[in-house]
Amino acid sequence: MKLVNMIETLRTKTVKKIAYGILVLLVMVDFIIPRHEVHFFGDKIPGFWSLFGFSACVVIIIVSKWLGKNGLMKDEDYYD
Amino acid sequence: MINDFIHPAVFYLLGGLLIPLLRGKVKQGYMLLLVVAAFLAVVIMPQGTYGVYEFLNWKLTFGNVDKLSKVFAYIFTIMGVIGVIYSLHVQNDGEHLAAFYYVGGSLGVTFAGDFLTLFLFWEIMAFSSVFLVWYRKIPASVASGFRYLLWHVAGGLILLAGIILYYSISGDLTIRHLPFHGWWPGDIEGMALFLILLGFIFNAGVPPFGAWLPDAYPAATVTGAVFMSAYTTKTAVYALIRVCAGSEILIILGVVMAIYGVVYAVLENDARRLLAYHIISQVGYMVAGVGLGTQMAINGVTAHAFCHILYKSLLFMGISSVLYVTGTAKLTELGGLYKTMPRTMIYTIIGGLSISAFPLFSGFVSKSMTVTAFGEEHLMWAFIALMLASAGTFLHTGLKVPYFIWFGKDRGIKAQEPPRNMEIAMIIGSIFCIGLGIFYQPLYALLPYPVHFAPYTAYHTWETLQILLFTQLGFFLLLKKLWCENTISLDTDWFPRKGAKGLMWFSNKPLANTETNFIGEVYEFIIQKPIMKVAQLMQTIDTVIVDGTVHNLGRFTIAWSRMILLFQSGQIHHYAMFMTAGVVALIVMIVRLF
Repeated sequence: MKLVNMIETLRTKTVKKIAYGILVLLVMVDFIIPRHEVHFFGDKIPGFWSLFGFSACVVIIIVSKWLGKNGLMKDEDYYD
Repeated sequence: MINDFIHPAVFYLLGGLLIPLLRGKVKQGYMLLLVVAAFLAVVIMPQGTYGVYEFLNWKLTFGNVDKLSKVFAYIFTIMGVIGVIYSLHVQNDGEHLAAFYYVGGSLGVTFAGDFLTLFLFWEIMAFSSVFLVWYRKIPASVASGFRYLLWHVAGGLILLAGIILYYSISGDLTIRHLPFHGWWPGDIEGMALFLILLGFIFNAGVPPFGAWLPDAYPAATVTGAVFMSAYTTKTAVYALIRVCAGSEILIILGVVMAIYGVVYAVLENDARRLLAYHIISQVGYMVAGVGLGTQMAINGVTAHAFCHILYKSLLFMGISSVLYVTGTAKLTELGGLYKTMPRTMIYTIIGGLSISAFPLFSGFVSKSMTVTAFGEEHLMWAFIALMLASAGTFLHTGLKVPYFIWFGKDRGIKAQEPPRNMEIAMIIGSIFCIGLGIFYQPLYALLPYPVHFAPYTAYHTWETLQILLFTQLGFFLLLKKLWCENTISLDTDWFPRKGAKGLMWFSNKPLANTETNFIGEVYEFIIQKPIMKVAQLMQTIDTVIVDGTVHNLGRFTIAWSRMILLFQSGQIHHYAMFMTAGVVALIVMIVRLF
């Protein structure tokens, strides 16, 4: 099973380090990338969308879990 | 010219009827032939109006072909081919027929030129797709199917009410652009347009009317859910584009939808229900775009519907394959499948990257057009909200679902890749998802308006990469919070579910009690008792008067007989004596008379 081995290679520590490297690179390149489509202030700040992506993820998880714990989530046999 | 138009629904609705008569490979070949023929019928179709029939006082138009109806017909028939390949192994002819009628119905809606034809096919869709739920043949899906019908009958009737009201005002049933402006109908015409819009958004899955979607889709059969993920909501989006484009209320509803689906997806444990919530989220982009109504927005919505059908069905095919092989789609029961189903994982991840609008995947070229349309109109709150929902989409469909099914905790489930036909369908879907992400021009050429949009600008690509990859960072940092729990989430299907329970309770308790206690008592005092009294009176009359008369007659007869008996001694000289006495008495009487 070659495919399984390939997938397992992707789960090593080295790949993780490369992934972090890519994140740093993403923000750095954002300082020099040409901006033609400026829709609002965020488009002018380098690294804005990186911060946005990360905070969006955190906000969605925390707010949803909070809503879930405060009434939305019920046992599976709730309707039975 | 007229010969070039063959309604593609004919292949599904009439051609499909022969499926139960065929067996084995012949049946499979026949089904493939039908769906490919339907696709070719769309390819060769020239624009124009065809299939106009007079029915009573109405003009029914079955073949209204323009750029918009054609692009939707393209994707519906392509999806028909993929879906049928995916379900080739299914033995149940009923399931095939239900799927064929469902697809046929959506094609009927697509080419309908008047509201009556649209409504006819609209209902065919609802009543055929419910069988895709029922054929799962488990008690939960039977109940879910009934709730699905309940929602769709309600939506259908609202639509019909709107159509009738509109007809009574305008005397015209032709489908035309009839946007609803404002937040609430102000006059009778506004009411008609409002009802039509409401009927459409029932099928688009707009909350609070969309609870049927995450309720029914995970309850559907393995292959049924793949069909359902493609047609109902996107047919509604098509109808909204055609009739309601520019209705401002849709912007708000769509943005709420996009976020709402994402929030519920966080809580969801059933992978197919999680995908269903992401349909709501993605259709939210489309509904919002329809509300915006600019040429760029409509192009974006159409392209997004096209790509969405392909990647969403791919995702459903992947997860349904897991369900088919392992018997469950719950994230708490799955994990570690990368060892046994690595190819299915790759197809699903391709679907996940496409729905997340990753550069080089199909969602990127369509979603970005819709979102940019909001940026161009300077609706920044909607723009930001949709960007937020994009991060959420990647978080769940691109990361959470693959992670918890194929990695996560290895539960040692015995599994293998699904049957070959299912895999072929997933390969075709994957090719489309990557192909459209790279070669998007053919799709842009099919869109209803000329496209002035280039998806792969440096900044735009970079912006998307930043959002998505930093979402991924957040995902792995918060992974502990994302482990699923074996729960369900409250949605507006609470109302029909609890409502039905309430109705049963009401019937069994207060209603039954009132019946036996109150109405029963009242019955006894007002009706039963007086009747008894009257009956007793009648009985007295009967016994005393009627029977008494008969009795007394009888007694008199007996007494008389006894008297007669005195004379009837049986001795001849007694008779002779009586007769002589009688004759003497007679003579004496006659003599006395004269």
